[in-house]
Amino acid sequence: MFEILLNHYPVLLKGLTTTLVVSLSAIALGLVLGVLLAFGLTSRYHLVRWPCGLYRSFWRGTPILLQLLLVYYLLPEIGIEIAPISAAILTLTLNTTAFQAEIFRSGISHIPAGQIEAARMAGISAWQTRRRIIMPQVFRLTLPPLTNEIITILKNSSLISVIAVTELMRVSEQIASRTFQPLETYLAAAVLYLAVNLVLARISAYLERRMAGGLATE
Amino acid sequence: MPTADTLAPPAPTQQRAIVEAHGISKQFGDLEVLTNIDFSLAPSEVVCVIGPSGSGKSTLLRCLAFLEPYDHGSVYIDGQLLGYEDRSGQRVRTSEKRVDEVRAPVGMVFQHFHLWPHRTALENVTEALRLVNGLSRRQADTEGIAMLEQVGLADRAGHFPESLSGGQKQRVAIARALAMKPRVMFFDEPTSALDPELVGEVLDVMKKLAADGMTMVIVTHEMGFAAKVADRVIFMDQGRVVESGPPATLFRQPKSERLQQFLNTWRERHID
Ligand SMILES: Nc1ncnc2c1ncn2[C@@H]1O[C@H](COP(=O)(O)OP(=O)(O)OP(=O)(O)O)[C@@H](O)[C@H]1O
Ligand SMILES: [Mg+2]
Repeated sequence: MFEILLNHYPVLLKGLTTTLVVSLSAIALGLVLGVLLAFGLTSRYHLVRWPCGLYRSFWRGTPILLQLLLVYYLLPEIGIEIAPISAAILTLTLNTTAFQAEIFRSGISHIPAGQIEAARMAGISAWQTRRRIIMPQVFRLTLPPLTNEIITILKNSSLISVIAVTELMRVSEQIASRTFQPLETYLAAAVLYLAVNLVLARISAYLERRMAGGLATE
Repeated sequence: MPTADTLAPPAPTQQRAIVEAHGISKQFGDLEVLTNIDFSLAPSEVVCVIGPSGSGKSTLLRCLAFLEPYDHGSVYIDGQLLGYEDRSGQRVRTSEKRVDEVRAPVGMVFQHFHLWPHRTALENVTEALRLVNGLSRRQADTEGIAMLEQVGLADRAGHFPESLSGGQKQRVAIARALAMKPRVMFFDEPTSALDPELVGEVLDVMKKLAADGMTMVIVTHEMGFAAKVADRVIFMDQGRVVESGPPATLFRQPKSERLQQFLNTWRERHID
């Protein structure tokens, strides 16, 4: 395993970089879109809530592998040429948007209605109330499930190898077939995934401690 | 049985009413919670609303602030219709922005304070000053400290709500509402969630406000406070205004059986 890591680290690192770029882009884009979708899901207008709920159902209710293939084959059909890596980021973004929105929706529902009424009575607009009163609390509340979602996306990004993106998983497959050492190769890949996710979990734990402290003292 | 419809509206004063409601009613599903309520509040008037649990006191206050849209009738704040507008003969809801504009003169204090837990006492007070009035941080802080001073809490400016007592939280909530320079303050049972020994400090702040001429509507179970501070007391039952008048008259010579009953129950509970 160490031999594989040592001998093939340039390719492995390149694969890992692609994995990180795809995953982190999707997570960041999904965060912004997820917040907006969560607002849609908690809208007081049925006509806004309903399509948002439909979107969430689709992306949470179908396998991500299927979603990847659908996006990859559908886009050229409707005349959009797109590189595999872009298709991968797009799919993972659309997918994680649904999951993050659901996390935020649940967080928003835990903010007492009275706090929002107090803001509105002070003349703070609905948008400013979301931005300054609701969401800062929601991010604190939802950090643990959000971390789960980030880790899930990182792991699910291994599926994008099916549309020929050379990320960590695909690179490992290539090395395995070239060296005839599949077990060692996949163990090496596992170590890399694990390392990234452990770092993420540590960052999240740190943020959680800091923000909890923020609530109590400063 | 006297109802809101048969009560004469208050005699017109020189100054226009700050809050005025005509025939408002409100239903939750099949439950009629408010029935044809008329209400008028003159500048500097202090009105206490009393009545049994479930009689619609909170709903009335919330409708007057449009936190709950009323179904029929109309509410005017400073002469402006709140929440609805006429569009070619049809009554339609106004935008949230318009609601904000019309109810800007109204400040509100809730039973459960509803401070924002991620903001310090001072930030709770300055948030709207900065977001709505556009004050700089320094201006807002100066203003906010002055407000906290008014409720005796300047020394708690940097504390987060969770480290304040209930009475302190409610006083911060009052300061938060006062910061926006309201012309009228609505209180919904401001002391009902407090330990008995903390009620006094909040009532003292409210007494001071009344003495300074603040116009107030107070839903309360504190009859002693109502007797002392109110210019007018309104007794509600089952979504209607049953009786209203100066506290001396209302408490000493209740006309309706329901108010007599209500006062007797209250005395029984508070004398021993
Ligand atoms: N959002 C709501 N949905 C459905 N029913 C409601 C709602 N709010 C209030 N009610 C009902 O309306 C009636 C009046 O409630 P309201 O809170 O106005 O009474 P109240 O006089 O303030 O009582 P309390 O002294 O207990 O605070 C009650 O029967 C209550 O259950
Ligand atoms: Mg109530």
